[in-house]
Amino acid sequence: MLKLHNLSKVYRTDEVETVALNSVNVEIASGEFVAIMGPSGCGKSTLLNIIGMLDSPSSGDYIFMEENVAGYNEAKLSNIRKQNIGFIFQSFNLIDELTVEENIELALLYHNIPASERRERVAHVMDKVGIAHRAKHMPSQLSGGQQQRVAVARAVVGDQAMILADEPTGNLDSAHGQEVMEMLQQLNEEGTTIVMVTHSPAHADYARRTINLFDGHVVTENLRAAE
Amino acid sequence: MFFNYFKTALRSLMRHKLFSSINILGLAMGLAAFILIILFVRNEFSWDSHWDRAEDIYRLENTYVRVGQPDRPTPNAVEPLKQVFFDTFQEVEAIARYIDGGVTLRHDGELFSQQVHFAEPGYLDFFGVDVLKGGFDAASVKLSDLAISERTAEKYFGDAPVLGQKLTLRIGGEFRDFYVSAIIADPEVHSVVQHDFVVPFNREYFAGARWFSEDWRFAYWQTYARFAPGTDMALIRAELPAIVDRFLPKNQQGQENGRNWSMTLGLVNIGDVHLYGNGTNAKPDVLYGFTGVAFLILLIAVVNFLNLSMARTAHRAREVAVRKVLGASRRQVVQQFLGESILLAFGALLLALTMVEIALPYYNEFLSSIIEMNLLGEPAMLGALVLLGVGVGVSAGSFQATYFAMLKPHDVLYSNTASDNGTSKLRQGLVVAQFSISVALMIIAFFVHKQTEFARQLDLGFTADNLIVLSGTNNERSNEIKQRLLESPFIEAVGRSSDVPTEGSEDRLHIRPVTGGDPVMLDGLPTGPDFFKVYEIPLLAGRYLTDAGADVLRDRVEDAEYASAANIVVNEMGAKLLGFETPDAAIGQQVSADLSSSLRVDATIVGVVEDFHFDSARDVIRPGIYYIDFIRNSDMSVRIDGNNRDAAIAAIEQAWHATYPDSILRYRTMDEMVERQYQTDDQLSNILAAFTLLAVLISCMGLYGLASFTAERRTKEIGIRKVLGARLADIVGLMLWQFSKPILIANLIAWPVAFYFLNDWLNGFAYRVELGVLPFLVMGAGALLIGWLTVAGHALAVARSNPINALKHD
Repeated sequence: MLKLHNLSKVYRTDEVETVALNSVNVEIASGEFVAIMGPSGCGKSTLLNIIGMLDSPSSGDYIFMEENVAGYNEAKLSNIRKQNIGFIFQSFNLIDELTVEENIELALLYHNIPASERRERVAHVMDKVGIAHRAKHMPSQLSGGQQQRVAVARAVVGDQAMILADEPTGNLDSAHGQEVMEMLQQLNEEGTTIVMVTHSPAHADYARRTINLFDGHVVTENLRAAE
Repeated sequence: MFFNYFKTALRSLMRHKLFSSINILGLAMGLAAFILIILFVRNEFSWDSHWDRAEDIYRLENTYVRVGQPDRPTPNAVEPLKQVFFDTFQEVEAIARYIDGGVTLRHDGELFSQQVHFAEPGYLDFFGVDVLKGGFDAASVKLSDLAISERTAEKYFGDAPVLGQKLTLRIGGEFRDFYVSAIIADPEVHSVVQHDFVVPFNREYFAGARWFSEDWRFAYWQTYARFAPGTDMALIRAELPAIVDRFLPKNQQGQENGRNWSMTLGLVNIGDVHLYGNGTNAKPDVLYGFTGVAFLILLIAVVNFLNLSMARTAHRAREVAVRKVLGASRRQVVQQFLGESILLAFGALLLALTMVEIALPYYNEFLSSIIEMNLLGEPAMLGALVLLGVGVGVSAGSFQATYFAMLKPHDVLYSNTASDNGTSKLRQGLVVAQFSISVALMIIAFFVHKQTEFARQLDLGFTADNLIVLSGTNNERSNEIKQRLLESPFIEAVGRSSDVPTEGSEDRLHIRPVTGGDPVMLDGLPTGPDFFKVYEIPLLAGRYLTDAGADVLRDRVEDAEYASAANIVVNEMGAKLLGFETPDAAIGQQVSADLSSSLRVDATIVGVVEDFHFDSARDVIRPGIYYIDFIRNSDMSVRIDGNNRDAAIAAIEQAWHATYPDSILRYRTMDEMVERQYQTDDQLSNILAAFTLLAVLISCMGLYGLASFTAERRTKEIGIRKVLGARLADIVGLMLWQFSKPILIANLIAWPVAFYFLNDWLNGFAYRVELGVLPFLVMGAGALLIGWLTVAGHALAVARSNPINALKHD
């Protein structure tokens, strides 16, 4: 699916240079479920952002589906991103002015999909995450778990091959957290590649592989034994 | 997709109701003010554009010039020029001329005053005036025919048939019958050619009038020439001085006091006559000033809109970031926000048009104008407004759109607070711009008002109340009516003069001072003996003039001649200019005064009066000399008993009818004439005040909106400060100071601008107020106070909130 080769990210201000990622080499295959862990400030989010093409590396290669996207401009990245990658955030990032249904549909609006098909797919994915009964509600009327389910639905409604989840359970209580994890696991079993940043070892256990980052380096990669 | 944008935009607006209404309302008010001012200005500039081929029609104007004398511009041209023009310029296609005059009209035994155009044949064709009924053909028209407008017909005949009906006009001292042969279209309101009553010109009517000379001495024809399309008027104008050189008879003597004189010719396009023609009251400069104010207000409103839109970006950043993550391209983001902004601007424009529609009647009353807004009938205006809406929308939206287009989604998505979006510097700058304009307008409006009041309270040197000025008495019955008037107990005094105060004097007399040296120039005013008594102008030394003996320079007799010596009165400045230290020193002294190049009079000063205003308050009082010339007594000033005004006016009516049974009494009141001098400045002052208020209001609306956003954004910071021990006053002070800075900077910008502008404007006045520092400071402090009051509510609300709530906000 993707391969990072000697990838570095350096943030520069006038006086300070911060190395967020230092010669990272990571390979993620299609259909994998990878957890990224590490203490605050180790570069987890930067790594996820670069994988998600929301940020560009300072040096090194990023091969995404056989294509080196490291030097691509924003428009090109945006195009690859919308075809292939879905996002889930800790703070949900739903649009307050839109209903549940409309929030999910938004992911299809930028794909030139006819309205009838959009409705069908939104309905289907709402069923799948169990939020159909809240279709007409505004985000502010939902619980955190429900909001994150909407976010998951939004991430997958476009049939994205890969989902990037940044602490998807960080704002949720344990019961709701588990619910979301199970949903991700199910998606993974259906073939979606999942890359997740998390602090929770328990939730990292859902992944088949864990990458531990420390000060911008990959420290260890643990492969979970097949159960 | 569009529907999705629309929905998000609408819901976002509804969610922030206060903000949205401030945003839209502010822009709408600014647009409405802009439209109102532009309508008025455009209206003033669009006079007489309705004529067929208006661009080719020019009015020929003569200005008499005489060395050492002020120019005497007239709106008219002299008799010989028509033929001269046809002979000189092949480009002249046609010339229409008429004499504009007021006559007494008799209908059904009742007398009316009627303004009449005595027109040469072809007048209606030239202007393309529609003949609605009957005919007025140049070929078949009879001297007794009349063409009257629809509204004039209705005035005299109501619904009754009009064609062939008789109307009697008093022309040249006798009543003559005319018969209506044509009904013509009403003249446009905004036209200098008011063709309500057209009478075929007949030389016989005027044969007895002193001014009706067929040479170059008197200009009385309103003369309009139509040039061939594409004529280069610069070339034509360049020829005009040569025409005067060639055709004006050399050394021709002027009027009674004729020096050598000459004339300049002017050609004014008919569309410009209202604003730039000779004898106009219009002030194009003021119109340009208003246009400037209109654009400033629009600027403030647009800045407001911009500013509030930018403040809102913080709230919508998350939405945009999500859209981008989901695949929205830059172009789509730009489209969305530009579209939204344009939509909002159009909403404001619609609201503005509604406001204008509602305000127009009051506005018209305020300006005593007749402005209409008929958008469907004016595609150009409609187009301009649409363009304005799009322009405002694009300019406001482009900031937002560009900012969002450049937005990096991860910057927003990974922070939980609404970030300051980097536009806060720009926003502060815009607030500075707004308040600079507002403060400058406040200062300017204040001084314009002060100057207007100052001019109004200026001591005129005479008493303007209870004075009635009659014209049409400069004839053999002048003494008769004077006697009749004085018989009434309600009439205190009657005086005569060639002109009256506010009108200015056109005579300049050259007199050699007693101390020797070059002759000095004094304004001459032919008066009757009672002039000073009527105007209550105090005597400083000597005595007033009487109507007998050596006091009379020229008597009203057959073939009157000037005396070679006479007694005169001068004003205090005149006495000084002639070299006398004190008024008393001048009494009994003799000077020789040149009434004209060929008429020198030995003048003995018998009285010195206090200085008084004879021109507008804009002009200085000038040295004056007053002498008795019974031939030049056009105006009769009547001082009436102010407590019995109605009775006094009735007495004047009675005396008039007894003396002049065949004509209508026409009179003016001096206080109105004085008032009219201040009218334009007054109007300027009022309009400026009104629109300044609006500008300040719009600025404050913007500030209010901004404050609400800042308060929201700073809740966390303020929560932390409170936890660390800040008191209520500290927090309020913090918030107030944030908004004080831009206003203080705005003052620094506004002061010099206002000073420069005001100094320039005030220099146009002979007697002006001084530009003190205090009003500047007060206005600045006022702006600051207004600013504080505007944001105080938010500051207090934030300062009072529980810090825990603020911190949990995260």
